[in-house]
Amino acid sequence: MENKRYPRIQFQKRLDHLRDDVEEMGQTSLSAYKNAIETFKNYDADLVNNVIHNHQKLQEMNYNLEQEAMSIIASEQPVAKDLRFIETSIKVASHLKRMGGLASNIADIAKHVKDEKIPEKPMNDIIHMSDIVDGMVSKSLSAFLNEDMNLVRELKRDDDKVDDLFDQALNDISNSMFQEKEAISYMISLLFVARFLERIADRAENIGDRTIYMITCEKPGVADKLNGLISEEKK
Amino acid sequence: MNYRIEVEDLNVYFDEAHILKDININIEKNVVTSLIGPSGCGKSTFIRTLNRMNDLIDTFKKDGTVLLDGNDIYDPKIDVVDLRKKVGMVFQKPNPFPKSIFDNVAYGLKIHGINDKDFIEQRVEDSLKEAALWDEVKDKLDKSAMGLSGGQQQRLCIARTIAVEPEVILMDEPCSALDPISTTKIEDLIHKLKKDFTIVIVTHNMQQATRVSKYTAFFLNGEIVESGLTDKLFMEPTDKRTEDYITGRFG
Repeated sequence: MENKRYPRIQFQKRLDHLRDDVEEMGQTSLSAYKNAIETFKNYDADLVNNVIHNHQKLQEMNYNLEQEAMSIIASEQPVAKDLRFIETSIKVASHLKRMGGLASNIADIAKHVKDEKIPEKPMNDIIHMSDIVDGMVSKSLSAFLNEDMNLVRELKRDDDKVDDLFDQALNDISNSMFQEKEAISYMISLLFVARFLERIADRAENIGDRTIYMITCEKPGVADKLNGLISEEKK
Repeated sequence: MNYRIEVEDLNVYFDEAHILKDININIEKNVVTSLIGPSGCGKSTFIRTLNRMNDLIDTFKKDGTVLLDGNDIYDPKIDVVDLRKKVGMVFQKPNPFPKSIFDNVAYGLKIHGINDKDFIEQRVEDSLKEAALWDEVKDKLDKSAMGLSGGQQQRLCIARTIAVEPEVILMDEPCSALDPISTTKIEDLIHKLKKDFTIVIVTHNMQQATRVSKYTAFFLNGEIVESGLTDKLFMEPTDKRTEDYITGRFG
């Protein structure tokens, strides 16, 4: 007996639409992040408002995406890869929303430190971190949208770099604090920026983990396994 | 491993048509195993080989072995009536006899030569209770079974099957003619019955397979493409054809 293929047109349209929603959230989150870093480097009140607006927009988009995902699950009863894609979309959207929240936190700190003369060394650490994190946000979105395992591996390496830079920033910030006691209050703000960047990097890495789960059904948090792969490559 | 049924290299033919091809599957004791696959893939033919229902078709031929508790059910010495007592069957459409509710359940006992009235009464009551129907029919046991709703009729058929204490219950799409509430009742019943019986169920409802069964086998064009733990098969199928079928992209 011949088995006919059915594309499930409406179902596929809804999955494609869900994917588009994640992509739009990713672009909004990336924009919020870039603006937050820009206003941290060169304060601009409009950019701060833009970041806050994008964060609010991301919350709304995340809620709508969850509703749509639940509606698809209820009406289409997906299984296998389809179900993993939907589940991963919900998780990725949640991470993107949180990235927007952390960008908003950075923009908020930019307001408080806008008139301060930040010492060169810790500032360079933060800028360096922010460049890598910028790439990680883009890579995480691309890894999910294109199901790209190579990008997930890059995210692992990038996250290690960000962790090292965070330690270095911590060290440089505390040295600056000892050197200039009056700077302590805004140095603490700087410490928070470093911490927020490190958290955004973690979120990007988590999106990579969820992508692995979506593709391979491997348990989320397979960092050790991938780190093993990376170590092998380094050898 | 604790297998109730072991099927090895089973091939089934009706005339020249090769209906089942090299089927190898073991059915574990006291668990539910679902058989899924598109219409005409051989699921029903397969479960009918498990209690020799296909023997009733003149053109039926088979090779390979089907063992029940280690014994070949196609051995010429096997008493087919006794086999069907051990391997009961529930069909897609409820098929109560045009008799009273009591007589429907007692029927199997009587044809197996049991005449002890008290024993029969007790067994009818126990079977109806086990089939979760007793409370609904205890005051009208002498009324015709034909007056029951579809869901009640199907539970009556299950009570009739379990009255003769089979080892295995084969269910061929038992809920396809039922409304959602009746379906839920049958599924709850399946969960309860697996303590005492080995259940093999054919279903077109994927979600039903995921709800009721520990193992699932996917049939296609007379072959088993993939079988294993239901959760694994529905979450992480290994064969592309299984993925395409369960995600509804062909059938």
